Amino acid sequence: MQPVKIVIVGCGRVGSTLARRMAEEGHEVSVVDENMSSFARLGEDFAGQMVVGSGVDEEVLRRAGIEQAECFASVTNGDNRNIMAAQIAKEVFHVRRVITRIYDPIRAEVYRELGLETVCPTTIGAALLEEFFTTGHNAAQSGTVLPRAAGATG
Amino acid sequence: MAARQPQRPYVLIIGGGKVGFYLAKHLIERGYEVTLVEKERARAEWITHQLGTVSIMVGDGDEMAFLATTGIERAGVVVACTGDDEDNLVACQLAKRKFGVPRTIARVNNPVNVKVFRTLGIDVPVSATELLMGLIEAELGHSELVRGVAVKASGASLVDMALPELSSLVGRRISDLQLPEGELLVCIVRAGDPVLPRPDEVVQKGDELIIYSRTLDVERVSEALSR
Repeated sequence: MQPVKIVIVGCGRVGSTLARRMAEEGHEVSVVDENMSSFARLGEDFAGQMVVGSGVDEEVLRRAGIEQAECFASVTNGDNRNIMAAQIAKEVFHVRRVITRIYDPIRAEVYRELGLETVCPTTIGAALLEEFFTTGHNAAQSGTVLPRAAGATG
Repeated sequence: MAARQPQRPYVLIIGGGKVGFYLAKHLIERGYEVTLVEKERARAEWITHQLGTVSIMVGDGDEMAFLATTGIERAGVVVACTGDDEDNLVACQLAKRKFGVPRTIARVNNPVNVKVFRTLGIDVPVSATELLMGLIEAELGHSELVRGVAVKASGASLVDMALPELSSLVGRRISDLQLPEGELLVCIVRAGDPVLPRPDEVVQKGDELIIYSRTLDVERVSEALSR
């Protein structure tokens, strides 16, 4: 993947992990979070940009460089906030690759139908656990399904 | 034969804060069928106590399964007025796109989001902050006269008065405007074109008035005009 500009809204566990990975790969990463203290998760050597503010505020997103962004992910702990941020990225700023995390499976399904790219960790998690119960095979650990998420380094 | 009552649309209000509460109260007084959705049980009980007859439902206005139990699909309008923009957006989008509600109104807390909401398909985004700003600007802008060319012979000036959006002059006839002695309305500028201020001409929104003013007493001129 060519180095691109990436904006991530929400600097929790997922947001910060994604940001660190992408920055290490040489991408230009901006992370937006309302709480300054969340940025501690990025570590001191994080090479990207950190923007304090709301991810559902156009001006904050503009400060994070969304107008030049190729990729966008919203991963705050609020489903609706993620949905709104992703829609702003997609419909207002026309970012090419926009994805959002939605915990509520029904809402995730609804917005998938409405054209938003969504990831629902609830469904994925449950499916992985179910697979382990029925087959004795832990796909997340064996590296067959999500090699990078399972901690394998490429 | 009894006259048939016109059917008032069913209104679903999401968010039982101050805005939602008063909205429900007044809509009920005007004969609308209203259901109010409120997240917190204690608040919902308080509202029931205050309004008596109103139908209150405790639940999440952005939860599909819950919304389906509110009769939302027969609502003529859904009003989302919680204190969180993202919750109002999602509630209205679900109402419109999943339940086919014809009209959605959303309270917008951050005025920047008015445009965003419109882009994202909300029919009427309302920002109290934006409305207040408009009113304040119109009030303050009212006495703004721009001094123009000096008229040599008298020492008077031609001044340009741009009317604010909500000027009280809009809709009034020129013959009804009373300017102090020594002042004269010379020309109306409407959409860039000069219009002769005939007595039966009516002031319109966006007009600019060119006034011959000897005193240049800004307060006096605008006060006289708004009488």
